[in-house]
Amino acid sequence: MIRFTWLQFRMQATVALAVLFAFAVVLVLTGPHLASLYASAITSCHGGTCANAANTFLSRLTTTSPYPTVYVLGIGLVLATPAIIGIFWGAPLIARELENRTFALAWTQSITRTRWLAVKLTLTGLAAMAVTGAFSLMQAWWAEPISKAIGLGGPYPVGSVIDQGRLGEFIFATSGVAPLGYAAFGFALGTATGALIRRTVPAMAVTLAIIVAVQVAIPLWVRPHLIPPDRTVVSGPSFFALASMSVGTLAASSVPGQPEAWIVSSGAINAAGLPVSTIPAACLPSSLAKAPDPGRCMASRGIREAITYQPASRYWPLQWIETGIFLALALALAGLCFWRLGRRRT
Amino acid sequence: MSFTMEASGLGKQYGHRWALRDCTLAIPAGRVVGLVGPNGAGKTTLLHLAVGLLAPTSGSISVLGANPGDGPAQLGRVGFVAQDTPVYARLSVSQHLRMGAWLNPSWDQVIAETRIEQLGLNLRQRAGTLSGGQRAQLALTLAIAKRPACLILDEPVASLDPLARREFLRSLMEIVAAQGISVVLSSHLIADLERVCDYLVVLVASRVQVAGEVGELLSTHHRLSGPRREASSLPANQEVIEESHTDKQSTFLVRTTDPVLDPAWTVRRVTLDDLVIAYMSLQAAPERAYRPRLRVMS
Repeated sequence: MIRFTWLQFRMQATVALAVLFAFAVVLVLTGPHLASLYASAITSCHGGTCANAANTFLSRLTTTSPYPTVYVLGIGLVLATPAIIGIFWGAPLIARELENRTFALAWTQSITRTRWLAVKLTLTGLAAMAVTGAFSLMQAWWAEPISKAIGLGGPYPVGSVIDQGRLGEFIFATSGVAPLGYAAFGFALGTATGALIRRTVPAMAVTLAIIVAVQVAIPLWVRPHLIPPDRTVVSGPSFFALASMSVGTLAASSVPGQPEAWIVSSGAINAAGLPVSTIPAACLPSSLAKAPDPGRCMASRGIREAITYQPASRYWPLQWIETGIFLALALALAGLCFWRLGRRRT
Repeated sequence: MSFTMEASGLGKQYGHRWALRDCTLAIPAGRVVGLVGPNGAGKTTLLHLAVGLLAPTSGSISVLGANPGDGPAQLGRVGFVAQDTPVYARLSVSQHLRMGAWLNPSWDQVIAETRIEQLGLNLRQRAGTLSGGQRAQLALTLAIAKRPACLILDEPVASLDPLARREFLRSLMEIVAAQGISVVLSSHLIADLERVCDYLVVLVASRVQVAGEVGELLSTHHRLSGPRREASSLPANQEVIEESHTDKQSTFLVRTTDPVLDPAWTVRRVTLDDLVIAYMSLQAAPERAYRPRLRVMS
């Protein structure tokens, strides 16, 4: 059955290897130069100047072709792989056998369909995790200078593509062990959807819709609460430093003393602890007079910044929890496939 | 007597619809059995139950004395060729043979290769580009080379042209002659089965209307024609299967093991085709099927 699974899976495996190879070529062509840019930017720094050097490096990088493009492409690829695998490996696994009536051939050989499914799910599922893991590792290797620069603690260039630490909404699911969980989940979801809908193309569409919904829902509503987030109130001089003040919002872009922390929510509050949604008119910079510093102005009126965040040290606990959740979901979906086939409703 | 297939009160329900309901039959071993019935009679459902692709909703079925699809050994003892003979379009002929070898411990590569060679199939050709007849032959090869004790075929020739149909049935007869295995073969056309079957089961709306050896069926059914009479006036040992009347004349198809003695009748033999069609149309007039065998003569 292992050999037969491979015989049927060869085509999809070849496509995956081709994409893997193409991605590797792009990364190998651009990676070393990115590393040398980083090395030359950071060489002479020591202590406090390193944060500034890193920030300069990152700011310059956002306008240096092709690095922002490759960076976004790589992250996009790692994020999309579980969905693509679910669609093209998972959904057809059972649905196509039912659709083409070949189940009558496959399941009347001298092998039970439980074993047929067990081998198919195990091998293809492991391949799904291996491919996604490979993409993730390659991306991590390429982007290492960027993550090191972010790690040096300079505030990220606001509004650019490189504005997230490894706990960031998008980055988190592309690094560590999380991609393995997403890959297993995507594949199992596709397979189960195919087994239930019994038609390949609708199963593909439903799989895509569910995975996208999950990938949006997890960072927005689930991940922040996997571990109860920390809360801090920033006042005084630190409050002035919150960079996004300059673009007119009252949201914090970093947590003082917590480099790479993931901000779950933030907002200004007044002395009474009530939320302040806009900059008070008195503190607004006017175009005529010399503008008052809005931060200093607001701080003098007792306005502070309340931030709910996940500190960077929770990266691995959050990784393991999220991966565990998705592996458990994948196993449950695989169980659903066994149950569906075991009922013998062809 | 041993049986290839035995079913008792067998039923399969999809939602509210019964694809097969309360089916009881026994198909003897060592024969080539034709399972005939109109479309929708439940033939495919019955055969899928027999190979374990489906599980019964009610009743029971055993094939070669065991529960269908119960473990690899039982799966290996039953060869199955499904309706429209599905194969993997993207795999080549030789890859199909490899699949058979990998998935069946009892696989006989010599049988498989000899057959493919005899058929003149190109081992490298993708199954998706084979003609319907070639595809059916490939499916039959896969079912045979695993050396099953019984071979079940679901409408294998329904979609084939007459020439391919004849070739396929000839192959099947050669296999039966060479390997002496039990065969169950379904069709909605008796013409397909006439040349290969020695035992016939007519299934209409899940019910076995008639089952028996072909020779015996032919010798116990007669077509009677003569002056107009009512069916109820026939002797009780003559079961009326079909009747038709004109103003002056009546024609009956009757089943009886005794000779027809009434001199008023012209007695003719029936063809298998007549017989099957007569039993299939019993569905339209179901009360005929329940006519008591014993009847007091008036």
